[in-house]
Amino acid sequence: MAAWQAWLLLAGAAALATALFLIKLRPPRLLIPSVLIWSRVLGDVRQQTLWERIRRAVSLIATVVIALALALAVVRPGRLADGGTRADGRLLVVLDASWSMEAATGRGETRWERAVAEARRVFTSSSGAEMALATTADGLVEGPTTDLALIETALERTRAGGGDATAWPRLAGATAVHFITDGATARALDPSVVVHSVFEPAPNVGITALEVRPSLTPGNAGDAYLEIGNFAPAGQKVRVRITRGATEVLNRELDAAPSELLRQVLPIPRGGDPSLTVKIEAPQNALAEDDEAFAWVARARPLVVRVVGTQTQWLRAAFERDPDVRAAFIDPAGYTASPASPNARPDVTIFDRWAPSDPPAGPALLFAPPAGTRWLSEGGGAASPGPAADERAPKWEIPGSHPVVQGVDPFTLTVDRAHSYSAPSLVPVAQSAQGTPLVYVSESQDTRLVIVTFSINESNLTAAPGFPVLLGNAVDWLARPVLFAPQSGDADLAHRVQRPGLTAFAGVVTKVTGPGGSDVPLTRVGETGFARLRVPGIYSVQGGGTRSTFAVNLADPQLSNLTRTPPVMAGRVVTVAAGASGAPWWVYCALAAFALAVAEWWTWQRRITV
Amino acid sequence: MPLRFDDQFLKKLEYLHVVSKRAFAGHNRADRLTAHRGRGLEFADHRPYTAGDDFRHIDWKAYKRLGRLLLRLFDEERDLPIYLMLDVSRSMAEPAKFDMARRVAAALCYIGLVHLDKLTILPFGRGLGQESAPGRGKGRIFRVFEYLERLEPAGPTDLRSSFKEFAGRPRQLGLTVIISDFLDPGGFEAGIKILRTLGHDVFVVHVTSEGDRHPGAFGEVRFVDAETGDLREVEVTPRLASAYVKAWEAHAAELEHFCGRYDVGYVRADAEQPFEDIVLKAFRQGRFVA
Repeated sequence: MAAWQAWLLLAGAAALATALFLIKLRPPRLLIPSVLIWSRVLGDVRQQTLWERIRRAVSLIATVVIALALALAVVRPGRLADGGTRADGRLLVVLDASWSMEAATGRGETRWERAVAEARRVFTSSSGAEMALATTADGLVEGPTTDLALIETALERTRAGGGDATAWPRLAGATAVHFITDGATARALDPSVVVHSVFEPAPNVGITALEVRPSLTPGNAGDAYLEIGNFAPAGQKVRVRITRGATEVLNRELDAAPSELLRQVLPIPRGGDPSLTVKIEAPQNALAEDDEAFAWVARARPLVVRVVGTQTQWLRAAFERDPDVRAAFIDPAGYTASPASPNARPDVTIFDRWAPSDPPAGPALLFAPPAGTRWLSEGGGAASPGPAADERAPKWEIPGSHPVVQGVDPFTLTVDRAHSYSAPSLVPVAQSAQGTPLVYVSESQDTRLVIVTFSINESNLTAAPGFPVLLGNAVDWLARPVLFAPQSGDADLAHRVQRPGLTAFAGVVTKVTGPGGSDVPLTRVGETGFARLRVPGIYSVQGGGTRSTFAVNLADPQLSNLTRTPPVMAGRVVTVAAGASGAPWWVYCALAAFALAVAEWWTWQRRITV
Repeated sequence: MPLRFDDQFLKKLEYLHVVSKRAFAGHNRADRLTAHRGRGLEFADHRPYTAGDDFRHIDWKAYKRLGRLLLRLFDEERDLPIYLMLDVSRSMAEPAKFDMARRVAAALCYIGLVHLDKLTILPFGRGLGQESAPGRGKGRIFRVFEYLERLEPAGPTDLRSSFKEFAGRPRQLGLTVIISDFLDPGGFEAGIKILRTLGHDVFVVHVTSEGDRHPGAFGEVRFVDAETGDLREVEVTPRLASAYVKAWEAHAAELEHFCGRYDVGYVRADAEQPFEDIVLKAFRQGRFVA
């Protein structure tokens, strides 16, 4: 609504209210025996109080004010100030959705609430122009539109939720861009962007690290490393509670000096629930999101391995020494593709010189499967290249880079004969000098396979130093897959600290489940799947016939430190005043109108004053 | 509404009689003593015999004892002329109020008729209406009821002109009962004074109703005078309503005070009160009936 229209509406409302007030409505007629008494009453010169004399004028003023307040609440006019854009422009307001925006300020409001109020103010002052709302987490949320109600609804539903520090939403043809932020995350901004700062130092205590690393102590599934930072200007007591599943394993109060990082290492015994939750409480604690952290102890539960073969003593000896594995040995005659109960389903099935007639349903490691195995030779159908030739005394000269063969010393391994398989899904990850595959892997959304093309009869596998490495790698890759998509500079995928935000997964991932069992939408782009992990918690992904579980935490000292002065931002910076997150002014207008109407009715319509 | 009393109530009424502060002589014999000496049953006095006196009244026992002719005198018992002046103006149109007025009139009629008083009902408004034929004896009560039932409230109230008209015709002095709400813009004083000046014993029955005593509405109201059609646009506030109630009470108190000053009997009959209470208690307390 243009300014002149708004003013016209206000003037009209005031005039209408006055006219309605002054119009004399015909009162009801009442037949009475005689007006004699009324004549006497009215004939008496009554001494009117000051209130009686001014009551009508006050009532008229109240009526006009009610009308004006209601009209203002409807049209919500605003001045074109720091904020707005002209009616013919296009406005983009970007809200910084980083987690630090959830920090509570001294007045009880959060930085985010203050930012939303500021965004509302900017939008209101630009009514008439095309407007769009975006956040650094979700990109463009609403618009471009001229409908303020749509923007208002979008403002109500948006929440801070992390987001990529480098992501920046764009709007074609934007004539004014406003960025409302606390400055906790440094960004390179165009100088034309108007920055609205909602920063206010806030004392905070947060979990800055929680990881479970392999333990060197026998009998332990790992060591949980916990780091808590006190970013308050004063020392305070921090209550730490660590629970494993539903069992509390630690409940302790720690003294944290200002700017101190408290470190705790907690050994995690084998067995028990693999989920670990840490919660902290402290008196001066502005951000709730970093008060809880999660970890997944992958080795808390031993792997269940089923070995199928007739002469599997060499594997029994290998697994007996590994406390992480519980192996069951069965004869090929006793093999069934799907066990009776889901709980009896093994994590990995190892076939020694034998293969089932149909592809195994779960992850499987096969040592020299028979050459006549149909699904290994003819899997490609018409397009299949057909069975390849075996190679005698193949030389494995080049160490492989695939996780299955990583760290396996090929030079101490002597192979007399390597078989070859022609199924098209098989990918060789270790080959002889002549190109004969020594180790195959196969990966699909349903299952994972590792095939070693030579048997112990045809090699010195059990005596080779690389054997336990190869076996361990294969079992880990099959049963504990890391399903994240590799990123640049991401050397150790297995121990990657996963933070909320957009996360890339391997192409075999079919399903991502969030905390509480909720499905996380997965978007596939080429060979990579993307999912937005919005909140910290325990997530699991499914793919390759198995499931992988991991923890998502904020765990960032930069984020938990809410007292840092934000870096000087380029361009124009507007500081948002404290307390801006109260209800919008038009709500107060509507409330004032309601209160006045009630007071007017109470005192005038009910005639209790005069 | 039919004006009929049940037998029990009628019996109660028969024990009552209308009290007049003064003794008036009617034309007919009845059971009410008068100042006249006449042919009653009750001995009053002796006087010397004069020529022409009725021999039958000579006290022969006194002649034998005293040797003088003395005539025995008896109290004359005559009827009491009662004039029931009933307000039938539009201000009485409220059913409860008008019914109360008619029932009071009917009850007084019955009491009077039982005691052989001569009763005349005179409806009035702007002036006197068609009065009922004077009658005696309780056999006439049904005609009185029928007469009262036929009355309809109409026109304005003018006590002064009505009573002036009453005074314009020669009438025996007697008890005049005014049954009215006394809402006369011209005032009630002049009318009552006329009756007092004539020498009548005057008794006032002030009939009121809730509609008279309270404003009956709040907020902006156009009050219409039932008699004149005059409008008063009033914004009735609690304060004004209170002032109205006070003004009405002042009006009633003024009437009562006036009646007291001029030796006029006053009884207030609120339409909401039980009728029997008014007749049997209020009228007795006001020494109107005994």
